[in-house]
Amino acid sequence: MNILVVAEMQLGKLKPSNRASIRMAQDLAKKDGDSFSMVLLGHQLGDAANELNRFGAKKLFVIDAPEFEHYLAKPLTDAVSNLAREHGFDRIVGCEATTARDFFPRLAGALDAGMCRGVSALCEVNGETCYQRAVFSGMALRTERIHTPIHVMTVDPTTMDDPTEGGAGEVVAFDAGVTVGDEIRFVELRRAKSERPDLSVADRVVGAGRGIKSAEYLETIGALADKLGAAVGATRAVVDAGWLPNEFQVGQTGKAIAPKLYFAIGISGAVQHAAGIRGAKTIVAINKDAEAPIFKIADIGIVADLFDVVPQLIEGL
Amino acid sequence: MKVLVTVKPVADPNTPPAAWIAEQEGKGGSVNDVANYFDLIAVEQAIRLKDIGVTDICIVSVTDDSKMAQVRSAIAMGANRATLIDPEGKQLGAYQLAASIAHVVKKEEPAFVLMGKQATDDDASQVGPLLAGMLGWPQATFVSEIGFNDDRSRVTVGRETDEGVEVLDVKLPAIITCDLRLNEPRYATLPNLIKSKKAPMERLKFTDLGIEDKPRVTVEAYSLPPGRSGKAKMVADTAELLTTLKDMKLVD
Ligand SMILES: Cc1cc2nc3c(=O)[nH]c(=O)nc-3n(C[C@H](O)[C@H](O)[C@H](O)COP(=O)(O)OP(=O)(O)OC[C@H]3O[C@@H](n4cnc5c(N)ncnc54)[C@H](O)[C@@H]3O)c2cc1C
Repeated sequence: MNILVVAEMQLGKLKPSNRASIRMAQDLAKKDGDSFSMVLLGHQLGDAANELNRFGAKKLFVIDAPEFEHYLAKPLTDAVSNLAREHGFDRIVGCEATTARDFFPRLAGALDAGMCRGVSALCEVNGETCYQRAVFSGMALRTERIHTPIHVMTVDPTTMDDPTEGGAGEVVAFDAGVTVGDEIRFVELRRAKSERPDLSVADRVVGAGRGIKSAEYLETIGALADKLGAAVGATRAVVDAGWLPNEFQVGQTGKAIAPKLYFAIGISGAVQHAAGIRGAKTIVAINKDAEAPIFKIADIGIVADLFDVVPQLIEGL
Repeated sequence: MKVLVTVKPVADPNTPPAAWIAEQEGKGGSVNDVANYFDLIAVEQAIRLKDIGVTDICIVSVTDDSKMAQVRSAIAMGANRATLIDPEGKQLGAYQLAASIAHVVKKEEPAFVLMGKQATDDDASQVGPLLAGMLGWPQATFVSEIGFNDDRSRVTVGRETDEGVEVLDVKLPAIITCDLRLNEPRYATLPNLIKSKKAPMERLKFTDLGIEDKPRVTVEAYSLPPGRSGKAKMVADTAELLTTLKDMKLVD
């Protein structure tokens, strides 16, 4: 096996979910006594390559070019497939994010490879390494086997342990030989400014649902989050209402998160929302409806009016 | 302007997971099918674009006759016709699905293809980008806003990403996959459902398309995820909640 981790940048920093891909590569390598390599793509990478180069990779390829300043599917696909062909990589591992979810299937096509999205664990069937992933809104697990010589996968960061530290690999600048045509142009990224921790990796998250009744109440939710040093997340209902932008949505079609502590406040617990918080260690549900499905997946519950409980929590913390 | 829209019949998302697994494993169980919700968003978008130049909406579905009702309901929303590809009992993977759709795209030469961003059964999200790669077309996935430029040679889209809404300017033809907030799909009315039975329907057979049918990925097993405890510790008031959180060392 010749394993390649595709590491990505996010808003000028290493994407936290790279860690899950690295761990997956380490686990795959251990199975066959192999090594793994990494590639980091972006522009003006600064110290990011050094920061990434401490997990025992054999080589770290660096592709630093203006073409990769903004994420675009086609140049990334071309760059990684060129690298994989040139160096004979046959296991390509990326993280489950809206970037890799977008370009990895295209990459798999370019390499005539089968792909598994959002792998949560490795397993073995008749001596063959297979990949387990969540399907059906996270309500079922499926074991998949890839039959092509090259395997392409994205990794679910909510289920992976931290990678083990190791030595630095040989750093190799790779000229991807990629050009960006005019088929697709980056215009802008509309993003809400937030001083709070990054929702996808925060240890604590305060989740707000339709029960909060108005955008104004997000101020109180934010005050609770700040008391806890937590990120704020939301259900689709809250995002659809325009109270928070889309990057705050947690669930099947939003982010999957695995904080140590999740507060579900005025959230009913629909399967599509539950799909995003399955990995949470402790779920605290605050809901005035004792029958709300959220109590079926919560660890601690209180049947009460959130407009009473939330200010009391802020007060008592 | 011609548009292709893909529609996949999937199990009703409210099906209990054990029943869904039983059906997947061929162990019986009755599962209701619906059209994949994200695909209905794609159909709805095509219909809304009729005001600004879309004249021909063709639904493409890889499905057999038993799931015709889901395709019909999509046509009845306001599409003109459909092309169906019968898998002939084969389990087709993402590659075979994308290649089947590519076959129709090459024949029809639409201005663009609208698809759902993922199917709610296998949540794989692969067919759109695979298809774009096969055709050598640009792709815009997870789209929640679409607008045409003046001469309709390009579209401006907003994509829902982890970092926020990313705005791209995309040359047509392109593959566009639709996210939830793009629109709210309409319901097909009864008269339109009756009319949809007369919509032209082309039927193809997968084995006639000359696509490699060796699966690249196979399903080996299903299981239920390790459940959460299912037994929440219920507390009576905020004071008890606070002591519980502190006792469990979840907060200081
Ligand atoms: C294809 C598809 C994908 C989807 N993807 C997602 C996704 O990624 N993420 C997501 O979140 N949803 C998703 N949804 C939507 C999901 O089905 C639910 O509609 C949504 O999660 C509900 O949000 P909610 O819990 O905020 O609202 P509701 O279901 O309306 O629940 C509000 C809750 O607040 C409680 N409440 C009201 N007032 C108070 C009060 N004063 N004090 C205490 N409790 C109170 C109520 O008892 C209720 O339980 C998706 C749906 C579809 C069809």
